[in-house]
Amino acid sequence: MSDQEYKDWLNSAEKELKDRGIEDLNWQTPEGIEVKPLYTVDDIKNLNHKIGFPGIPPFTRGPRATMYANRPWTIRQYAGFSTAEESNKFYKEGLKNGVMGLSVAFDLATHRGYDSDHPRVVADVGNAGVAIDSVEDMNTLFNGIPLEKMSVSMTMNGAVIPVLACFVASGLNQGCPEEKLTGTIQNDILKEFMVRNTFIFPPKPSMRIVADIIEYTSKKLPRFNSISISGYHMQEAGANQVQELAYTLADGKEYVDAALKRGLDIDDFAPRLSFFWSIGMNFFMEIAKMRAARFMWSEIIKKYKPKNNKSLALRTHCQTSGVSLVEQDAYNNIVRTTIEAMAAVMGGTQSLHTNSFDEALALPTPFSARIARNTQLIIAEETGISNVIDPLAGSYYLESLTSDMIREANNLIKEIDDAGGMVKAIEMGIPKMRIEESSAKKQARIDSDEETIVGVNKYKPTEKQNINILSIDNDQVRAKQISNLNKLKKSRNNKIVEDFLKKIEQAANDESQNLLEVCIQAAKNKCTVGEMTTAMENVFGRHTLSTKTISGVYSKTAKKNEKITSINTYIDKFVEAKGRRPRMLVVKMGQDGHDRGAKLIATAFSDLGFDVDVGPLFQTPAEAAIQAIENDVHVIGVSTLAAGHKTLVPLLIKSLKENDASEIKVICGGVIPPQDYDFLHELGVSKVFGPGTNIQEAAIDIINLI
Amino acid sequence: MKLKEYLKLNKISNKEFSKLIGITPVSLSRYISGERIPEKEIVLKIFEFTHGSVSPDDFYFQKKNTQEFNSDQLTLINQMSKQLKNGSKRALAKTITLVESKLKKDKLLVQKIFEKFKVNNNTVRIGITGVPGVGKSTFIESLGLFLIQKSHKVAVLAIDPSSKESGGSILGDKTRMEKLSINPLAFIRPSPSDGHLGGVAKKTHESILCLEEAGYDIIFVETMGVGQAETAVYDMVDIFLVLLLPSGGDELQGIKKGIIELADLIIVNKADNDLKKAAEITQREYRNAIQITGKPRKDHEIDVLMCSSLKSEGFNEIWDFVLNFVNKQKKNKKFYENRESQKTKWMWNSVSNNVNEIISNEIVRNKFILKIKEKVKNKNINIFQASELIIDYFIKNKF
Repeated sequence: MSDQEYKDWLNSAEKELKDRGIEDLNWQTPEGIEVKPLYTVDDIKNLNHKIGFPGIPPFTRGPRATMYANRPWTIRQYAGFSTAEESNKFYKEGLKNGVMGLSVAFDLATHRGYDSDHPRVVADVGNAGVAIDSVEDMNTLFNGIPLEKMSVSMTMNGAVIPVLACFVASGLNQGCPEEKLTGTIQNDILKEFMVRNTFIFPPKPSMRIVADIIEYTSKKLPRFNSISISGYHMQEAGANQVQELAYTLADGKEYVDAALKRGLDIDDFAPRLSFFWSIGMNFFMEIAKMRAARFMWSEIIKKYKPKNNKSLALRTHCQTSGVSLVEQDAYNNIVRTTIEAMAAVMGGTQSLHTNSFDEALALPTPFSARIARNTQLIIAEETGISNVIDPLAGSYYLESLTSDMIREANNLIKEIDDAGGMVKAIEMGIPKMRIEESSAKKQARIDSDEETIVGVNKYKPTEKQNINILSIDNDQVRAKQISNLNKLKKSRNNKIVEDFLKKIEQAANDESQNLLEVCIQAAKNKCTVGEMTTAMENVFGRHTLSTKTISGVYSKTAKKNEKITSINTYIDKFVEAKGRRPRMLVVKMGQDGHDRGAKLIATAFSDLGFDVDVGPLFQTPAEAAIQAIENDVHVIGVSTLAAGHKTLVPLLIKSLKENDASEIKVICGGVIPPQDYDFLHELGVSKVFGPGTNIQEAAIDIINLI
Repeated sequence: MKLKEYLKLNKISNKEFSKLIGITPVSLSRYISGERIPEKEIVLKIFEFTHGSVSPDDFYFQKKNTQEFNSDQLTLINQMSKQLKNGSKRALAKTITLVESKLKKDKLLVQKIFEKFKVNNNTVRIGITGVPGVGKSTFIESLGLFLIQKSHKVAVLAIDPSSKESGGSILGDKTRMEKLSINPLAFIRPSPSDGHLGGVAKKTHESILCLEEAGYDIIFVETMGVGQAETAVYDMVDIFLVLLLPSGGDELQGIKKGIIELADLIIVNKADNDLKKAAEITQREYRNAIQITGKPRKDHEIDVLMCSSLKSEGFNEIWDFVLNFVNKQKKNKKFYENRESQKTKWMWNSVSNNVNEIISNEIVRNKFILKIKEKVKNKNINIFQASELIIDYFIKNKF
């Protein structure tokens, strides 16, 4: 390119722009990267990465040499709900229709290591995933699905040992030897402490568990991915793409170090590490993220001097972003998911889950699940995209963006390294705080219409659409699980069970033993997930989280507008009339640890002038009621995502009544099917807010209410 | 005697009297209704004329709050007082809300409720401070649970900062005291600092009394650990604890020297696992240091103890120390003297709070004051003159 050509272009561009300069077209991404309107060959002269070839280090263009040209990515749909029988039916239906690998969603009771009969999980059994209490449930889950041939991915982190143990035991029951099992266990506990909160034990024993699993699988389950290092939940919690990239790789480093400390060789386990990205709406940024990650990971692992090149290759699963889905004008979500799926494919994913359009409302129905699946089939088989390997390589813009992301992500990783590694950084709350800041900023941009969401803050639909959704009768599932548990406990040899539980405690106390190894034997002998967890909990303790909240970020990002000014006047009037500010308690009840929504509400409302009380995670309704009463709040805001509202909200309202505090108003927000709105209103819930609610408008509603 | 009564008694008409004093009848009727307060000379004239029957006090101490409670309100007051005494959490929470309310009518209700309170010297009020991250909440939770086992009822007042910009706040203390907050024998109330300097809510002292009335015998007051708050809390409690981190060598840890000087007991928290050694070093260093700095309350030897809130270790020693301290103070009457003198400080706090409220709610909106403000802006008068004028006006119109 000659300088003259560039000058010519600049001239004509500025003519078109009239009085504005070309810099006026620059776009500052939320990650702080400056994107120009035009990229040229000059922009790829000094890259931070090597582009190279697919299938060879540094793998920027993909972990395999032939990529989709030889075989497309694995269509792997994450699913699970209700009982093992119901989920089993759903899996078989999917497998008939193009799904190639299973991905099991467990309910929150299982995640947190509680059996279905535990009093703290009344609202959680079978709701956001399948309830698994023992190896028998696992047998039912894979009934008629040969584990020797089927790769199974399991999203499990908290109760990872008991669940993986039940899975291995179930495979053995089918006659599938350990070495033939394929699939992935998520086993990524660090991001649980950072964003998802589905942990059980404190960080230190949790890291030991991760290492136990890496060690055991490297020896006995050579075809099984021992960990899926996940950025997905970070982006879901509001992280921007650079944060997702940097913190995930930093987590990965921490796991590698933990495994090496065990005395494993880097080549023993590094080829079985896998990654998991969220793919949102920033199309090019997502592709750049995936390519940057592959390059950076190979650089990171290179320092450990592996002999096997496969150790340097980053393989990944992707899921389209759940947080980009909205309740309003929900069919638009099909389009969003399609664009995100395209980005994942252009980015070179190894497997992909596409969300169903109704997931901002409830669990997918067979209809919506089919569209989600077909989205991938259409990309794979109708477009021709998969015929060429890494088709966007060499794009001036994309390569330059990839390079910028590497620079920014390395800065963040350095911050973590300076803090003494990820475990230390998490203890100090660094990544959590950064992610929550991003999340509050994003919400503020949407609420003040700086960022467009079609159908939410622009081009709003005039008519309400009725969308059929799936609802789970949680009480029925729980009753069934409890009756199965009782049967199990009567039929098994309880003496042997006691012995194994003692062995687990001993193994927990003795770091030279492998907990997974012991638990596989225990699972075979019908110890339940809850029992195995309790045995470990007796030694490790159960971790509680001290919640830190940020403030001031929302109000700084949200531009002063009429809405905010009117909220100020509303609040002033309120104080004059009532003698204090409106006071709201934000609660998360049940075992759902996704607290992005609750945190966001807390920080945004306090920035708007409310006094906001925050409840501990995993509260019971009675505990939430007492907190509301002691703090004497005007209103309780229930944040709910995991369908627990139908059980938990009635109990909360009952508790308030029993304590003579019915005048405390209750509102709900989160993923709540429109069909449930009437049910909640009849119960006495004053207001229900769905995903995509404008917080400033909600604030006005609430002040009017109280 | 009120002027109105005097005139009625002596059968003097308003018109007549206004002539005698040399004011207009309109002014006189305003003085009588209390709408205006007469100038000093007029007050003196009236005083002379009535031979002292109508004294200056009759104008200045015009009861603003003469309104009587209606029967509904009286029932409410009685009910609240009774429920409070029975330990109802709901009534306690409501009373604290009334205490913190900015409304006049709520303040009157509170006065009435407080009239029924009895002096209770069987409680222990404990102030707790330390830099952010020292683990104050975890410490209170562990010590609180320890005390509940010893059949105490434990209450915690925590103060969270209100944003200067929006006025809102986030009150997250219960997430850090999860177990204590669900214990039926504990009561935790976080309050927004609401613009009050130093991070103590304006009404913390009043809230302490409410908690005691409801049967809580151990009251913790947690501060934000930033400086000014500590003196204020020191003036509300019987014993003041300062928490430190095991620092293993670094002498002062960002905690102000003045705060250490207030301590009745210094506690090195987080003396567990890897930090145990560091905690011991810190303990030794501070033991040496306090011999130089001296004693906060007379006749009292301060000490430096260690504990692990995480593992609930060290609480026996800490509680023994607190009990010894309180018993000794009671024996030499310092305990009671202290609480008495704290009442005086409370009174003055209350005065300055009220004055501040009058200034921010009424005075700044006054036309006369706005004029002065304008004059200052136009540099017609200087700041000192202006503030004197305002104070003058303030005193004349309110006293």
